[in-house]
Amino acid sequence: MTRFWEDIEVNVTFPLGEHQFTAEEIIDFGKRYDPQYFHTDPEAARFSHFGSLVASGWHTIAVGHRKMVDALYAEAERLKSLGAEPGLSGPSPGINFMQFKHPVRPGDTLTYSMVVASKRPSRSLPGWGILFNHLQATNQNGVLVYRGEVVGFTKMRHTPLGARIAMTLSKLPGLGWIAGRRNGQ
Amino acid sequence: MDNPVTKDRWHFEDLSEGQAFTLGPEAVSADAIKQYAAEFDPLPFHLDEAAAKASMLGGLAASGFHISALALRMLVEAMLGQCAAMGGLGFEKLSWRRPLKAGDSLGGTATITGLRRSASNPHMGIVTIHLEMRNQNGQEVMAMTLSNIVEIRHPVPLVLGPAE
Repeated sequence: MTRFWEDIEVNVTFPLGEHQFTAEEIIDFGKRYDPQYFHTDPEAARFSHFGSLVASGWHTIAVGHRKMVDALYAEAERLKSLGAEPGLSGPSPGINFMQFKHPVRPGDTLTYSMVVASKRPSRSLPGWGILFNHLQATNQNGVLVYRGEVVGFTKMRHTPLGARIAMTLSKLPGLGWIAGRRNGQ
Repeated sequence: MDNPVTKDRWHFEDLSEGQAFTLGPEAVSADAIKQYAAEFDPLPFHLDEAAAKASMLGGLAASGFHISALALRMLVEAMLGQCAAMGGLGFEKLSWRRPLKAGDSLGGTATITGLRRSASNPHMGIVTIHLEMRNQNGQEVMAMTLSNIVEIRHPVPLVLGPAE
């Protein structure tokens, strides 16, 4: 899925679509993963400084991540329909920063987007490239709700010879998991 | 202090730097991994054993966002839910260091690494919390540093210039 590292353009904004948050799903996510009263109890939430139920910031970014994954699948389908070979995304080693800037209340609609801010070959994982993805969401009034930098791996179309040798070595037992030691490798 | 929900909870003044809280542990099943992935992260290596085995994760492994969400719930149960918390500002340096495989357990420690008063709101204190999450073998799975707002019980009154 997605594109090969070589084909990924930097500083081009990808719209990821919209999502409207209902009270029911805010409470459902809150009860499962962030059971603070202003995420789970509309009555008690009135006493909070928010003054109402608000979505967990982690809920808003989980939905944003889902939107990104859906966009990667859609891009793979688009490339296949053009007769091109789609690339391959790997797991993420981490998130460098994430800022929750504005509360999300029931009925709010967020618009998500992503920009690849920069990219480079991975130093630890031969044959893969690193992407520094800037994700953000704004609400229906254009107010920024969150912004953050998520690091991602994506496969390279062409693997240099040195990397191919290193890749073979990395499959030897004992070298193990090398992707996730530090962000931005 | 007029919030009946939080008036008896820990306030900013009750917290201290270096204070640590035990999170979990709890086992994470293949079903839970697939259920979270189907909802929020439908990538093949979080949904399907065969695809996961062929991927760089080497076996069915939890979405990183799932690991973070589980850690968050443990943090709320152990600490934030006992505080007069006023929401999160965000986090930084989140690193997923090792896959969490089906059947692994997740636990860890939350440590308060910073306490400062908001420069703009006398009722708000900003608490920095460092999370280290490990599997059942004590190996690091995830780390991150969060910033959360906790209410100040006794705000320092605004100091005005001397009245002449």
